[in-house]
Amino acid sequence: MKHVRYGLGAAAIALIAAGAANAQQGGPTLKTVKDRGTLLCTGHDGSYLGFAEVDDKGAWTGLDIDLCRAVATAVLGDPAKATIIPISWAQRWPALQSGEVDLVVKASGATLSRDAELGLQFSLSYYLGTTKIMAHKSLGLTSLADADGGTICIPAGTTQQQQIASYSEKLGVKLEPVLIEKTEELEQAYFSGRCDLYTQWGPVLAIARAAKGNVDEHDILPDVLALEPEVIVMRPGDDNWVDIANWTLSALWFAEQEGITSENVDEIKADPPSPEVAKFLGVNPGMGTPLGLTDDWAYNVIKQMGNYAEIFDRNLGQGSPYKMDREMTALWKDGGVLYPYLID
Amino acid sequence: MNTLANSAAVAPPGRVQMLRKRYFPTPLQGLVSVVSAGLLALILWKLLNWAFLSAVFGADGSAADCRAAGGACWSVIANRWRIIFFGLYPYAEQWRSALACVAVVAMIVLSCIPSFWRPWRLAAVWIVGTAIYYILMKGGVLGLRYVGEEQWGGLALTLFIFVATCLIGFPLSIVLALLRRSNLPVISRGTGLLIDAVRSLPLLAILFAFAVVVPFMLPGWLQTGKLYRVVFGAGLFFAAYQAEIIRGGLQGVPRGQEEAAMALGIGYWHRVGKILLPQAMRNALPATINQFVIGFKETSLVIVVGFFEILASGNAAYGTGEWTFAYREVYAFIALIYFVFTYSLSRYGAYLERRMAISSR
Repeated sequence: MKHVRYGLGAAAIALIAAGAANAQQGGPTLKTVKDRGTLLCTGHDGSYLGFAEVDDKGAWTGLDIDLCRAVATAVLGDPAKATIIPISWAQRWPALQSGEVDLVVKASGATLSRDAELGLQFSLSYYLGTTKIMAHKSLGLTSLADADGGTICIPAGTTQQQQIASYSEKLGVKLEPVLIEKTEELEQAYFSGRCDLYTQWGPVLAIARAAKGNVDEHDILPDVLALEPEVIVMRPGDDNWVDIANWTLSALWFAEQEGITSENVDEIKADPPSPEVAKFLGVNPGMGTPLGLTDDWAYNVIKQMGNYAEIFDRNLGQGSPYKMDREMTALWKDGGVLYPYLID
Repeated sequence: MNTLANSAAVAPPGRVQMLRKRYFPTPLQGLVSVVSAGLLALILWKLLNWAFLSAVFGADGSAADCRAAGGACWSVIANRWRIIFFGLYPYAEQWRSALACVAVVAMIVLSCIPSFWRPWRLAAVWIVGTAIYYILMKGGVLGLRYVGEEQWGGLALTLFIFVATCLIGFPLSIVLALLRRSNLPVISRGTGLLIDAVRSLPLLAILFAFAVVVPFMLPGWLQTGKLYRVVFGAGLFFAAYQAEIIRGGLQGVPRGQEEAAMALGIGYWHRVGKILLPQAMRNALPATINQFVIGFKETSLVIVVGFFEILASGNAAYGTGEWTFAYREVYAFIALIYFVFTYSLSRYGAYLERRMAISSR
């Protein structure tokens, strides 16, 4: 019996080692991307404020776009090697499955059907979007429980429609719904006073309020109707590719946690304060090889894209027109839910 | 005769009398006229006020200026017009996109001039025009930087999709119309089935199928860019409708003409090319122009498969923190661009009808 057990143990170790050797060459997606020399990412068919929009010179910007560029930097060492392909909401899964894009970073929530029915792979959640409610300040509401009998603008045909229905039923609040499909019309209806309340995915709501220019006249109520964890979505059957997406996100968070920014990364690399940071920045080897990347990939990402705080800040936060707070999408040490994996 | 005699007897009414007779025959109708005229004037005044009087022009106007002025904010166009015209095309290379647009428009204008209506001249114009467009847009030769199709956008892409759809669809529609009237039942019925099948599907479904489903079915060596697949789908759709229009035109040609030609021993191609089609095209002209106008406007549907045509570019143009409120101005501007193209098309159609009417008088 003992021999059999030893035998099994040896076989297991051999298998793991073989797996590790495999990982060093990377999975099929990594190989395709390296051979092609560009990473194909999702853009938008138009503009999705803060996540994918087009600047005055026709270049893509936004949180989703920057995360795609971060992955491109990790894999190919250069954010310019990300090719952004304009893709509509409906088209993102077929485009992923047919290989038209290598990953989907498109404000997409992790859901059961996407995971189990479509068989897609998710990364860690990089943004926590909540469905919230905005109200005219003049109404003096403190939460939705006070809003009995009010009219509410709801984006037609979205999950928000179900969420507000079940949430108001739970509270026993009766609301008069106004269903409108197009976001511009919806916002027009709310801001013109046709609706007392407006429910929408949190970032869209906050951005609408900021863009309107009179932030003080509108309250975002504390009620949270639902939480949608936004993830990077990938094709099934390529664990290495999922690892790369996860570790790219993790690197952005690790750098933020350790106070490494695009500004000071060179100083810190010259004099790393801890062995973890030394490994992280590629001073000591081991950060890249297991993933099939170069050892300085994380350094490249931070140097060229900045850490997560910098990326968030320029696209959604104080450095952007939207001035959004991190809220839940902050690091664990700031009261949020994001955390990097350990580097050992 | 009686009415003629009457109108000759009465002195021609003066302008004031005409007005009175038309708009104020009874007090009630007079009231209706005044109220409608007042409403019309009010709407026009509001529009004028919004679009010009209290509008902000020029690239210096900021969002705050626009809010203060209360009118249209044309600054959004001044700042973001490049996105509307060229979409995601690299900024430094946008002159190429502009030249390509000029080439396409020149090609369309040239092929509208009657002296170019010789098969080889038309073919030359279209081949040269399309080649210039393609080389300018795509680059990779003659020292031009390579620009992938995923970066094409704006008006340049809309024009490309329209021209390519016509280029594929129009010849195909003639072929389909002729096949449909073939004497062999297999061919005529088969073509009829194809036309009806395509016509019974919404264009949206066809575009989606060609963009998304077809790549799963084609073998590797037949894989082409999404743009070309989608243009082919749109061309097929155009051809199915246009084939029926041409068939209608063919049916309007008296049967005796073809029989007479056959009796004279004139061959098939001569019969079709010199007798049937010219007359059929004349009969079908109004509907054909209509189809082209519809084809131009339907290019906007490619937005669902993620192309950055002019409408999507418009969405991107106002879709940034500073300009989200200015979507009306962007849409008005895009409507104006569409209007310029479709109105010229329909005016040209009217000119053609007048011109062709001369020979049938």
